[in-house]
Order: sequence, then structure tokens, then C-alpha cells
Amino acid sequence: MSEEDRHFSAELAVIGTGLAGFAASIFALKRNIKTAQVGNTGAVAYTTGYLDLLGSLAPDYLASIEDPWQGIEQLRDSHPRHPLCRIPKDDIFTAFEQFTSFLGKCGIAYTPPGEFNVSGLTPAGTLKPTLCVPATMQVGSAAFSQKEPCVIIDFKGLKGFSSRQVVANLKDRWPKLSSKRVEFPDMVSGEIYPEVMARSLEVPATREKLAKILASAAGDVKVIGLPAILGMHAPDLVREELEQLTGLQIFEIPTMPPSVPGIRLREMFEQLFPQKGVTLIPQQKVDRLVFIENGAQLSLNDSFGPISIHAKSVILATGRFLSGGLKAGVDGVSEPLLKLPVTQPDSRREWYREKYTDRRGHAVNSAGIEVDSSFRPLDNHGRPYSKNLFAAGVILAHQDWIRGRCGAGVAIATAYKAVEEVEKLLK
Amino acid sequence: MTEKTIPTLNFKEKAEELLPEGASFEACLTCGLCSSGCPASGIENMDPRKFIRMAMLGMDKELSTSKWIWACTQCKRCQHVCPMSIDISQLVFLARSNWPREKKPAGIVRSCQLIQSTDSTSAMGLPPEDFVFVVQDVLEEVREQQPKFKNMQAPMDKKGAHFFVNQNSREPMSEPDEMVPLWKIFDIVGANWTYSSKAWAAENFCMFSGNEEAWREVIKKRVDAVNELGCEVWLNTECGHSYYTMWNGINRFGMKADFKLESLVTYYARWIREGKLPVNSDWNRKNITFTVQDPCMIVRKAYGESIAEDMRFVTKSLVGEENFIDMQPNRSANYCCGGGGGFLQAGMTEHRRTYGKRKFDQIAATGASYVLTPCHNCHSQIEDIGHHYRGSYGVVHFWTLICLSLGILGENERTYLGPDLLECI
Amino acid sequence: MTQKQKRQTVETDVLIIGGGVTGAGIMRDLAFRGLQTLLIDRKDLCAGASGGNHGLLHSGSRYISSDLHSAIECREESTILKHVASQCIEETGGLFVAVEGDDPGFAENFAALCQPAGIACNPISIDDAKKLEPLLSDKLFKAYKVPDATVDPFRLALLNVAHARMINSSSFRPHTELLHFTLKDGKIESATCRDNQTNSILTIYANQYVNACGAWAMNIAQLAGCKDVNLLYSKGTLLVSHDRLTTHVVNRLRPPGDGDILVPGGTVSVLGTTSIRVDDLITVKPTVAEIDINVREGTAMIPALAKARYIRAFSGVRPLLQSAGGSDDREATRGFALLDHSTQNLSNFCTITGGKLTTYRLMAEKTSDLVAGRLNNSEPCQTHVTPLPDEESCKWTEPGASPKYWYKANDPEDMILCECEMVPQSAIDEIVKDAPGAEKEMTLKAIALRSRAGKGPCQGSFCGIRIASYLYDQGHYHDKTGLIHMRDFFNERFKGTRTVTWGLQAAQMELAEALHCGLLGLDNLENN
Repeated sequence: MSEEDRHFSAELAVIGTGLAGFAASIFALKRNIKTAQVGNTGAVAYTTGYLDLLGSLAPDYLASIEDPWQGIEQLRDSHPRHPLCRIPKDDIFTAFEQFTSFLGKCGIAYTPPGEFNVSGLTPAGTLKPTLCVPATMQVGSAAFSQKEPCVIIDFKGLKGFSSRQVVANLKDRWPKLSSKRVEFPDMVSGEIYPEVMARSLEVPATREKLAKILASAAGDVKVIGLPAILGMHAPDLVREELEQLTGLQIFEIPTMPPSVPGIRLREMFEQLFPQKGVTLIPQQKVDRLVFIENGAQLSLNDSFGPISIHAKSVILATGRFLSGGLKAGVDGVSEPLLKLPVTQPDSRREWYREKYTDRRGHAVNSAGIEVDSSFRPLDNHGRPYSKNLFAAGVILAHQDWIRGRCGAGVAIATAYKAVEEVEKLLK
Repeated sequence: MTEKTIPTLNFKEKAEELLPEGASFEACLTCGLCSSGCPASGIENMDPRKFIRMAMLGMDKELSTSKWIWACTQCKRCQHVCPMSIDISQLVFLARSNWPREKKPAGIVRSCQLIQSTDSTSAMGLPPEDFVFVVQDVLEEVREQQPKFKNMQAPMDKKGAHFFVNQNSREPMSEPDEMVPLWKIFDIVGANWTYSSKAWAAENFCMFSGNEEAWREVIKKRVDAVNELGCEVWLNTECGHSYYTMWNGINRFGMKADFKLESLVTYYARWIREGKLPVNSDWNRKNITFTVQDPCMIVRKAYGESIAEDMRFVTKSLVGEENFIDMQPNRSANYCCGGGGGFLQAGMTEHRRTYGKRKFDQIAATGASYVLTPCHNCHSQIEDIGHHYRGSYGVVHFWTLICLSLGILGENERTYLGPDLLECI
Repeated sequence: MTQKQKRQTVETDVLIIGGGVTGAGIMRDLAFRGLQTLLIDRKDLCAGASGGNHGLLHSGSRYISSDLHSAIECREESTILKHVASQCIEETGGLFVAVEGDDPGFAENFAALCQPAGIACNPISIDDAKKLEPLLSDKLFKAYKVPDATVDPFRLALLNVAHARMINSSSFRPHTELLHFTLKDGKIESATCRDNQTNSILTIYANQYVNACGAWAMNIAQLAGCKDVNLLYSKGTLLVSHDRLTTHVVNRLRPPGDGDILVPGGTVSVLGTTSIRVDDLITVKPTVAEIDINVREGTAMIPALAKARYIRAFSGVRPLLQSAGGSDDREATRGFALLDHSTQNLSNFCTITGGKLTTYRLMAEKTSDLVAGRLNNSEPCQTHVTPLPDEESCKWTEPGASPKYWYKANDPEDMILCECEMVPQSAIDEIVKDAPGAEKEMTLKAIALRSRAGKGPCQGSFCGIRIASYLYDQGHYHDKTGLIHMRDFFNERFKGTRTVTWGLQAAQMELAEALHCGLLGLDNLENN
């Protein structure tokens, strides 16, 4: 059987389809760089929708910080090698602005980056310091800070989200918070997933049915909180319509995986990038990456056969263990695609502290690859691996995005920086 | 007579054998993205994650006998959304093949038997001579009644033709006039094509029934037929799984095929781009809206984005960009409609409609008046759930709309048009 | 601290300190004899060595070269337990295999060594061994079949307690720590305890006091002023693979050493152990070095162990009687010791320690004989003949069983909370309501101990959240303490994962941490 090889060429190949990879493609689009993006289903599907810049400070991450910008200043003194410290604040700000406004234009509106962190609500009834929140979640943060009377509503059949839990843990700071359980229209028996509810709310008839249920559950209260189920493709529209139908203010709280906000982002990117001219090959891992004169050659396979991409520049945004950008072996952490050296603890004994929730975090989480001031990964001799190769996202060393609450910050800011450097190279 | 029992498979062992390292069942993070995104979740109290966990927990007896494997359409959406890329469809296939024939859904088994019963490989059992007769008969009628096409050809067993064209049995068997728009399109673009009296049929229920040997035989017949006629391209018409079963089968069984496998949708797009099919959307003055259904078998499970893009290009050319509304999710992330995997023939109507509810919601969310899809199973299922859930949309073939746009749709070729579309002619 | 501590007084015939299988076994044995008991544990059932071992029901062959007496005891006791506690036992059978590099002389002589102990040990061909266990090394040169089996110590302890409760309302109190004894006239008058969950003080008056604290027995005895318990501590570390790799117990055919037993445990396999002398019981936890040794040694028998996905590691402490001597703790006697403390001028206190899981029943019998005798009770022991009855709330620890119950019940409303091990809501309901040690606000840890929740590949990272929210829903949790239970549960599971987190488990860990710390902020509850 004869088959044709598929070959693409681009000015920039982005490897990775997580937040950093998608951010890189957005910034590349903005700069009219012809881009191809490849990567398997990344951790993006697990994101909460909150875009953190910096929520907690090393070394002991004691308290949530209110001013992430000042936090970055402090970080410059204490952790100068942290990726966020290697990028001017104005650039970080612009990066967040461009990123959120792009998402907004594509149907998932976000609050723009501000001076201070806001308190994002969590399904445990705790608070999470974050910079930008989806419009669907914004009312929750505001209602919390105003202590407005509010009902958290959950659904029969939806596991892992209990309005009683949210209320139990917030009531000391939010006295007029109460809880209610309702049934989702036409899904009254068995287990239901947020994704299914969200998709069903894309149908006007479902919205009308749910609106009646919500209005009755709210009683006299004017603000209600729901698990994140307000539509998948058009969340802003779904929320607006439900608000109109109910006369209530409505917000979402992210849920545990499998949750809607991450799937929303992933589906949006996968759908819009091709329309905007990005050659996107999702769900596939790059098998081989070799650098040749003035560029790189990527080889991969999908279910249909081999694909090759020639690109003048490459951004490596392959993430950490979950996305496969780093590999944790018995003998150490490695970078599987290019075998780049990985800065890491001397032995596996030092990877993890005794206590899981130790606020100082685990050493292995700060392992990663080194880059020069242009975000070019370094080889074993401390020299750039290739002048055409850049890196972005949490694969970079010297940051613990989990304890620092800075995952999106690292992803977006370093992607911005890497694309800027790509543009310089291409000129 | 003794009641046949379903033997017990060792699912964990088989998964280790069949799936690549790092993407086998033991790689599961149990995050649930698969189940969240699967329309068969909840049916028979099962879902993909439960399937994997039950396999790992050694519940082989329960899995071996679970009816859920007939409700899973093997659409591979679970694998598509899995961060570890774990494929359960192969194990579902194995589980199906493990059922004694007597226990398998009779409809699927019968369709496979019928495929094996003639050289046509037709799931409706239409023998070669009848197919030849129907084609000839319909052709003569068109030539007589539609002067524009008085010289139209529907070649049979023409050696050296460029395209070997397959045909879903439903047309020659139940609605022969539906073949005509296709012939007209070939006529207009001047395609060098042929039908074959042997192995002309598209469908392959032997794959759905889990009968690997029968699957191989069917594909063998088809490959031999194309090789024999010396065609360059086996052209899959508007049928989803026929493509997958052929493409996957040739690789799986290591067959020698001296031709390319192509999908008609790709050619529609190419002919439109080349100006050979001068379609436009001027006819759609009333802005009737359309959406498309991406068949899993040719999009997610085979060609991926390129064919999805072609489908949209063809649709927009036909109905006007502003009248096209994409379903959400779409392309490779699209949901199976619930007509795949032999579900339509499996006699599990209630389950099938439960499964199809997501598809119905997707369509309802677009608000489109028509669904265009190049797949017969999608077509039937989407029609059925439309009636069941009281939708108001219609389902049309691409060939119908192409001919409508070109102003050459004959009177007998308008079965699937609603009054709004009929008015546009 | 201004908070006034609540005080409470309880009376019982016999106070048993230590909720391992031995304590639980004594509880049941004495209940048969008409004696009412209270069992207490500082933590919970099987918190010590009873929960920190292979789960191997020894045929005895393992001790044949070092301790004939123990070997015979194991052979006899395992035969009894297969009869009276069959629901806790899987008769897997065992293999002893020698691989290149092992001593051929020892290997050849093995069956002959087993004979005096009466253990059925049959040589089998290498081909047959590989047919039984395809993952065995190609470098095998000798194999024997022995009647090893596996046992679920958690279910065993739970059922013993549940049965004692049923017979005569004997009861079990978890998280109840002994603070001190009050001695009077050559007797213990009372035991003062603290409830570690509520911080309330409990004074227990009993006629007899039993110290069944295993490795902690020396500390407890000292609280009663007894200086006749002298223990050495030998720490063993084991690891759990994601899959069950063999159907049989596989033992290395050589004198006991590191990483030489692979025991199937329902749906997983348990590899161990190492043996390291430790000075105290505070820092007992697996180390990376022990894990690596186990894997390396185990790989010689089963090469697939090198690439297996491990989900957990744990350590237990073998209490060894001081008199044992010798350089290798594994050479020390695995027999048990019952001390009546008469030389310490106490007539109502005894200590039972040493021994092994396989001989727990015998240890309980001997202890009960002493205790009952002291109370002039001459009822005979029944535990060797009366089968252990089943109890609904105790059935959830069996690997792979809860999905079977759930699947059979086919109730879509009974949602699965632990997806890895498929533990449904109904299991949680039953445990919280009825299981031994159940209470209104039960910790996630306590629920997990009584079920398979958190034992699968995600190690509780998802189900901890789902079960907690379910408990909030059901009104068991009603304030921030629920979050603390959640955090403590994840911290507890982490103790088991921290040394085996590489490969796929690193991906799992990253996801868990992002969820628990990044989203829920469980690393910063104090400041939230």
C-alpha cells in the first residue's frame, strides 16, 4: 500500500502542548512567526483555569503573597536563578496581557493581570492566590471579599465536589455562605461528570431547565456558586444566559480532575490554532529532534504514519514528569528528547523530604534544564545546545511551581521571552 | 443442547501483549479524563477507567461477559484524551472476538455472515449479479429521464481505471437513486472510475463482530479485486468504517496492496479547489444552517486533521461560510455518534440512544438545520436520535448537496431534503 | 492550656494493650472463655509489624536452616489457619528457587532439611517452575514447591475484634495511648490512657493486663516497672508493585537474605525484605538504599522486577529477643516469648512478643491460657477449631473484592469513590457505621485501613479528595478538621511513596502534588 509522507515547514516549531507551548504559539502568532506545534495531551487538561503568577515565596512559602510583582523583586534577591527573575516585569505583564486577551477573544474571557493577587476559591473551601481568573470564576472572588450572601450549589451524582465541604471550610470567614444540593436536568440517576454537564449546558433548552432549578435553590440570595460546569466551548455565553434567566450572579469553582476548565482551554487551542495558521499536530510525541544547518528536523508518527517538520527554530516546552519533558529514573532525572543535562539533587535520596506537605517543597521539583540569558538550553559544557533551540515552561530548573503557585507565570513569561528570542534569531 | 458460555480472557496479560510499553493499562493514572469524555460511560454501569481498573484487578470474568463491550464503539476517544495514550479499543475488540458467536449480538453476526456469503462482501447479502443489474437499471433510467446525463457512465469491472469506487450496500439495496448524485459528480469532473462486480461493498461488520479471520477474508477479497483491476486508488465513498477496516486491515494482516486508499471527501475538496466541481452557495439564499459530523473512523482513527479540514472546506463551499456552524467538540476530539462499532445492528436500542444523547446535545447546541456527514452509520444514528430526542434537524449526504448546488439533483434523489432545502432547488 | 481535659473511667476483665493481630487474637480467645476485654492501640489495628510485613503465611520452610522449632510451629499454625480463617488466606502455594550464583549445596539439601519439620517440600523441574511462574529468571537451576500461602493481616485482625465484640461485647478503642500504670500491692491497679484524637484522659481498671505491643513491648513493660523484656529491633523494608507478578509466593533458595521473597497480595506483589538493626522505633521508614537493594536482589529471581512500576514501600520492625545473639537478625529465633512478670513482682501483667504473623493464634492461645488461669477460668481455647465468622464491615480489605461486590450489586447510585481499587460509597458507609474501631468522625487513614481505598496506583491522591467530600456530605466532617484528615492521609500515603517515586509514579506524584498543594493548598492549611 503506498502512502505519502507528510512534511511541514515552519519558522518555529513548538514542542509541547501545555500552557507554555500554547502560550508560545500565541506569542508567535502575534509576531507573525510561522509556527508548527507538536505534543501529546499535556497536563493542560488538568489545569484549574486560574493563572497564577506567584502566590508564595521560597524558601519556606509561608504565607500567600498579595503582591506578586513585589514578590518577584524579593525572589530576585533570594533566588536569582528562578526563571521569573530572568525576565523584566514589564515583559511578564505584557505576556499575561497578551495571553489573557487572546483567550478572551477566543471565547474564554479572563480578568486582566492586576497589581495584586486575588483569592481563587477551591473545591475544598480553601483559597488560592492567583493573578488572573476566568470571567466565569470572577464573581466568586469578589463575593468572597465582599462577604455577600451566597449559596454554593452542588449536584447529585457529581463526585468530589461537596457544597457542604466548601461552606464548612469558609463559613468562619464568610458567614452568609450556605449550601444546597440539586439534580441536574435529565441526569438524575447515576454518576455524572462535569464535562458532560458543561456540554449539555451548551444547549439552550438545558440552560432553561437548569435556570429554574437554580433560581429555586437560591431563594432570596442573589449570588450562587457552582462547580465548574458552565459550558465548554462558550462559557461566557452560558454564564450570561443563565444569569439572565435566573436574575442571579453566578460563578464557578474549579473541581478536581477530570475538570472542565482544562478541557476548555485544550479544546479551544486545538480548534483555533489551525484556523489561525498554526500547524498543530496534537496528541503526538516527537520521536526525534536533530539540528541541522539553520534549523531543526522533527520526526514523529501519528496513527496514519510518519510526519516530518523542518523548522528554523525550536522551543522546547515539554513540561516535567507528567507530560514527559523530564524522566525520573532510578538513577536520576533525565531529559529524554535531546539528553540535555538536568540540574538535580545528587541522589534519589534527596528528591523528597520526609513530609509530603512540607512547605519548603521537594528538591526534585526544582530540577530541570539550564538556559542562558536568551533561554537557550545549555549542553554539558555549559554552552547553548544550538543557537536555534530555546526552552520555556516548567522544564526549566530552579523553580518549584507547585509550592510557589507560579506554574502559569513560569509558562507564560518564559514562553514570551523565548519567542522574543526566536524573533531576534529569525531576523 | 448446552448453553455456550463466554470464555474468560486475561485482560491484563493481553494489554501487556498488545499495547506499547508506557501506554499499557499499568500506565493509567486513574485521572478519569477517558471516562469523562466517553459517551458510553454509565452504560451497563461501566466506563473506560473502570474497564482498565477491572482488568488490573483481575475481574476477567466480569469483563469477559460485560455487555458494555458492545456499547463501546471502539471510537478511541478515550485514548485521544488520555495523557498516557492508553488504548482500550484493542481490548474491547479482543473481548468481542472472545464471545461465542451464539452470544454475540445477532444483528452484527448476521451482517458478517452475509458479507461472507457472496463475492460482493455486502452486509446486506446483495450478490454481484444483482448489484450489476441495479447499477445498470438505474443508469438506464437516468439516461432516459435526465437528458443532461444521457451519456453518463457507471463503469463495471473496468481494468486500469484510476479509481476503484466502493459502495455502501444500503444504496443498491434500499435506495438505488442515491447512487446517482455520486455518478453525476464523477461525470462532471471526468473521473476515470469503475465499480467492481466483486468486493464492491464498503461495510465490514466482521470487524465489529470481533471475527478477525472473517475480517481478514473480507479485506483480502477487496484487495484482490482492486489489484486485479489494476486501479491506482481505492476510493472510499461516504462511509466511515469501510476506510478504517481496509486501511487498518491491510496493515494488520500484512497484505500487499498495489494501490492507494483515499477518501472521497479529499477528492471533493480537491475537485472544488481545482475548479472541476464548480459548486457555490448562491442557492442558500435563506441561510439554512449546517454542521458536520466528523466520523471517528476517518478522522480521529485515521487521517486526522487533514480530512477534517477538507470536510469543512467542502461544506463551507457548498453552504456558505456564514451558514456553517461547527459542532463542539469537533475534528479529532469529536464524539462518536453511537452508530459505530455495529451499535446500530446490535439490538441495544436504549443503550444506543443513551450513548447518542451527547451527539444530540452537540447538534442541538449548534442549532443547525442539517448535519452533513460522509458516513452511513453516522447518518442513520443521527437521524434516529434526532427523532428520538425530538430534534428538528435533517441529515444529508455530501453528494446530495453537491448536486443540489450544481443544480443537477434529480427528483428521485431528494429523499433527505427537508421542505426548506427543497425550496432552494 | 486552659482547655479542661475530659476524664473517663472504664472497667474490664482484661485490658489488652496493642492492636496487632496478636492483641486481636487474644481478645477473641478470651471472649470464647467468657472474659470481657478492652483492646487499645496508640494508633490503630495493625499499625506495627502486623501491618508491616509480607502478608506471608509461612509453610515453615523459610526457617528450616535457622530455626527448626519455628519452622515446625509455622507448619502447624498455617495448617490450622487455612482451616479456621480461610477467608483471610489465599492458598497460593510457594516456590523456592535458586539462581546462578546461589549455593548449589544448600539448594540440593533443601528438601532433606524440610523433612524433619514435616513440611511438604517437593522438587520440581525448571521447566515446570517456569510454567507455574513465567516471569522467573532464565538463570534458575533448582526449584521446590512448598505449601506457602498469603494472609491478609488487616482482615484477620478486624475479624478477630469483630467476633470478640459479637461474643461478649468486648471492645476496641483506637488512638488510645497508655501513659502510665498505677501499681498497688504487687498488682497493676489501673492504666491511664489518653485519647490522641480528643486529648481526653481515660482510666482503665482491669483484673489482668496484657502487653501485646510487639516491638514496643519493652517500653510498655518498663512502664510497669518490668525489666525483664529485652528486645532488639530489626527493621525490614518491603515494596509493593502495581501489578501482581506471580501467582505463587516465590522465595530465594538460599539462607535468608535481602529481597529474597516475592509475595502476591491479591492484586499486587510485595517484595522484601531487608534487615537492619535499629536502635529505636521512632525513625522506622523505608530508605532509598533499602529499596534499591530489594529491587536488585529480587531481580535475580524475577527480572521483571527491575522494570516494574512500584506504588509503595513500607517498613516493619521485628522484635527480637535479646538472648538471640548472632550477627544476622534473620538467624535469630523467630519464636515468641510469653513473660508472666512474676519475677518482677506483678501478678496480673504479662507480655507477649516476638513470633510472627503465622503464629499469632498460638501466641494468643498461650497468653490467654495464662490470663484465664490467673482469673481461675478453666475454659479451653477454641480458636484452633472454631472458624472465624465473616462480618460485613470487615470484608473491604480484601484486594480485588470490593469491585466484585459492587459489580454484582449493579447499583448506579452507589458511586465508586476510590477508582483505583474500586471502593464504592456503600463500603465507606458500612465501615463508618460498623467496622471495629468505627466512630462518628473517622479519619481517612482509619477508613483506608479498613478498606482498599488509597492502595492503588494513585495511592489515595484522588480518592482522598472524593472520600473526604463524601464524608462532609454525610455530615461526618463539618469543619476544617476534615481538611486536616485529608492532609494527614496524603502525608501518610506519601511515607510509602517517597522512596519509590520514579518512572510512571513520578508522573502520578506530580499530578497529586499539583492537586493537593497547588490547588487545594493542603501544604498551607495553617495560613489559609
